[in-house]
Amino acid sequence: MKFNAKSRMQILLLLLPGLLVFGIFTVYPIIRLFWMSFFKWDFGSFLDQEFIALENYRTVLADENFRIAFTNTIVYTLITVPAQMAIGLLVAMLINSINHVKIGFRVAYYLPVITSWVIASLVFKYVFNTEGLLNYFLTNVIHVTSQNVRWLDSRWSGMTVAMLLGIWKGIGWNMVVFLAALQTVPLELYESASLDGAGSWQKFIHITLPGIRGTILFALVMLTIGGFNVYTSTKLITGGKPGHDTEVVLSWMYYKAFSNGKFGYSAALSFIIAIVLAILAVLQFRLMQNKDEG
Amino acid sequence: MKERKKLLAIILASVTSLAAITGCGQSPATSESDSKSQETATQAPASTNETKEEASTEEVTINFWHHYSAQSPENETLTTVLIPKFEEENPGIKVNAVSHEWADLHDKILISAQSDTLPDVARLDSAWIPEFQKMGILVPLNKEMSDFNDVAGGLLESAMSTAEIGGDNYGLALNTNTKILYYNVEMFSEAGIAVPKTMDEFADACKKLSGTNANGQQVWGYDEPGLSGWNLCPFIWSMGGSLTNEEQTKATGYLNSKETVAAIEMFANLYKENAITGWNSGDIPMTDGFGTGRYAMLLEGPWKVAELAGAYPDFKYETAPVPAGDGGSISVLGGEDISMFNSANKDAAWKFMKFMTSEYAQVEMAKCGQIPVNKTALETDTVKAADFAPYIEQLQTAKSRPTVACWSEFDSELAAAVTEVVNGDKTAQEAMDELATKVDALLAE
Amino acid sequence: MSKRRLSQLVIYILLIAGLVVVMMPMIYMVSTSLKPNGALYEYPPRFFPKLREITLENYAYILGQKKFIGNFGNSILVSVLTVILSAIVSSALAFCIARFKFPGRSLLFGFIILTMIIPGTTMIVPQYELAVKLNTINSIWGLIPFYVAWVIPYSTFMIKGFVENIPKELDEATYMDGGSILVVFFNVAIPLAKPGIASVSIFNFLTAWEEFPWANTVINDDLKRTLPIAISGFFGQHQFTQWGYVFALSVLSLIPILIVFISCQRFFVQGLTAGSVKG
Repeated sequence: MKFNAKSRMQILLLLLPGLLVFGIFTVYPIIRLFWMSFFKWDFGSFLDQEFIALENYRTVLADENFRIAFTNTIVYTLITVPAQMAIGLLVAMLINSINHVKIGFRVAYYLPVITSWVIASLVFKYVFNTEGLLNYFLTNVIHVTSQNVRWLDSRWSGMTVAMLLGIWKGIGWNMVVFLAALQTVPLELYESASLDGAGSWQKFIHITLPGIRGTILFALVMLTIGGFNVYTSTKLITGGKPGHDTEVVLSWMYYKAFSNGKFGYSAALSFIIAIVLAILAVLQFRLMQNKDEG
Repeated sequence: MKERKKLLAIILASVTSLAAITGCGQSPATSESDSKSQETATQAPASTNETKEEASTEEVTINFWHHYSAQSPENETLTTVLIPKFEEENPGIKVNAVSHEWADLHDKILISAQSDTLPDVARLDSAWIPEFQKMGILVPLNKEMSDFNDVAGGLLESAMSTAEIGGDNYGLALNTNTKILYYNVEMFSEAGIAVPKTMDEFADACKKLSGTNANGQQVWGYDEPGLSGWNLCPFIWSMGGSLTNEEQTKATGYLNSKETVAAIEMFANLYKENAITGWNSGDIPMTDGFGTGRYAMLLEGPWKVAELAGAYPDFKYETAPVPAGDGGSISVLGGEDISMFNSANKDAAWKFMKFMTSEYAQVEMAKCGQIPVNKTALETDTVKAADFAPYIEQLQTAKSRPTVACWSEFDSELAAAVTEVVNGDKTAQEAMDELATKVDALLAE
Repeated sequence: MSKRRLSQLVIYILLIAGLVVVMMPMIYMVSTSLKPNGALYEYPPRFFPKLREITLENYAYILGQKKFIGNFGNSILVSVLTVILSAIVSSALAFCIARFKFPGRSLLFGFIILTMIIPGTTMIVPQYELAVKLNTINSIWGLIPFYVAWVIPYSTFMIKGFVENIPKELDEATYMDGGSILVVFFNVAIPLAKPGIASVSIFNFLTAWEEFPWANTVINDDLKRTLPIAISGFFGQHQFTQWGYVFALSVLSLIPILIVFISCQRFFVQGLTAGSVKG
């Protein structure tokens, strides 16, 4: 259908606020970030920046602390994403197969999702404190260790606490998403499979999983992005300590920018993260499409 | 114009329709406090001259940033006693005091300097002054304030020197302090040992006092809540080590000297033997650990007295000088200066700075454990009764951390290096050699 | 039949067991907030306070402090405005992208997808610079536009899915009756995409309500802080932490979000999955 001038005006009117906000507060900063990443841009040289081409990128990639932070983020994502999805799907299937208080369970399992990161991090910090409740339980109640475990004081145990928090907080979201997806799998498929004598596991592999493939992809992409977004939990639980061993990419970026004033470095780091995520997203889509054909 | 009207209509329509459809978009309470915060929020933070309703009285608000922690007695005194008093004495000037965590304050000032959103006045750790001075954001008071000499003359010279760079003064001394040894009386008498007078005795005491208590909980001989210069310097200096040469231009040969390395090694060894702790994320916070008998000793400043009295009123402890080593009993000089930034409303800011260093304000702050630098305040009965004697004694030999512009970065590099040593990733010598090279480069910048 | 009963029973037990684990941290938080501050390093540590120990002193302290009430107000104001503004802006964008071919449409949609991928925090440096230029540092107006911009991509993407599910014939019918595009937008698209808008709104509310790094960077004054900043502000480096206060404030800050979530949760499932199920 053809639109006259008035209609065009109206479309513009509808688009305008969004374009303005999105343009000023998101698109412009991204372009600016890209620009900054090629300059020596720090507290000392805020006014006259020197163009240094790819030097910032080189510095970031050669930085030992960046590598630690990047590895931590990758490990965090690799562990928390599948764990959340598996547990979330399991809970969704359990809830799906009961007849009463479905909504009650759904709401209750969702509570960690709406608990803010700040609060959840502080609770976990308190529970995993060397003198905290968990250690008391482990040493004095069930006696699995004789000494308090220093959960927050070394790289991988500190990251473990952050990962447990990530999984705990993510189960609910996955549960809701998968619960909805399960509704879309036609019941007849299960019935005819039962007639063919298929067991629950076979039904799960051959009917459920293919039936919710789209949702799995969606969750995978969203959660991978979420994994790279981790910041508040490590910041509040370990503060990146010991040294900078439990730093993740965002907290390291923040530290370099706002504690060291290396804005150019941070901009380059941000862009590296963005590129990695874009590649991951494309890969995940490809992977799922291939399965589709096969 | 027409366009704009239409847009307005659309926005209004969408707001109402949305509120209707979502049914949950409405806020439970968009109350007065909201509209008030809106009001204050719309005021540009940097603009100090407000020409609002009461334009006739020309009211000025000065922003004062500090790192008295939000729940502390100092902050309580500041907001409920000192500021009301100042505002009463100086009608037309309002003070907006903002509390930041210590490390945050440093970062916030760096960031704000880039964005022209600095406060008017701030209470600064004297170790930061060289860095901020180099950035050119501090006002040289002796040049700009005609009555500077009168004001400065009333304050302790030693404390004033912390804000003096190249003959100019970039702040007024606000309070001075240093750390001394705090110890748990009961734990010492139970262990049957004397209060350590030397570093050897100190290390020995740490080992003897650590172990498990009656509940089977781990206890430590000594607590150190961090590994930065503030934490390590008393040990390095008392054991005869140093961070840099006298001129503060070179670290190699000093930061990695035999004595400095020995101090770091002592620390690392005691940690390995579970005799000291405190800097880890999972450790009990200092005051709680000391007050509940989990840490036997601390090195802390005068503010700890008020804090312990508030949180653990029945707890029994005593103080002693920093244990002496080959270098003597040398603590780290603390203390804060109050400084004015370039963008400040200078008249109002100066009035406030003079007020904060006045006898009245200094005496009030002394009640919360801030050692005055105002000479007349030091002579008052209240201050004399506060028993700052042990600190003042320790101050005789206390040294200040390097007064260099790169101190913050130096400091965090130091902490990172020592962390590697205590965790056993590197030997003290290796880590200090590397650090010294890095710091040499920083000092040369 | 009895076998089926048994398996149902097992499922309920599993679900409840899982729930206990999931709820444990929340319960511990509530129970800690009811203990006197001095009992926090007690020995042995307790999951539940002793009955005679239970106290509301932490809540009394928090509610007695004007600044925390202000922080509450700020959080509510910021979250509500973020929700309203982003709902308007995103549904208009979604409607246009779904229904009209205009120049730059695919570029716009491409950018929207791209920004869904990039974590908002990575833009913190240029956004900070922008906030400085706009003179919105230390002001809640330094929060709202940025939050709106952050949630636009996801919201637009989701609402677009809903708009595309609306039969085009409904639009056509309205145009036939002489309705303009705005009429279609307000009378057809918005009412029918309502569940989608509602569900992203809950999500947006939560985003603004709990956002930490940006607010922590931009806001200085105690009175202008939002709740997450106020809560984390209890931690001083060498200070002791009053966990009782921390958790009392945390519990209080959970209440509004709980109300929003529970009263709107039926929209939630629909909305969350609209984009995904189609796959």
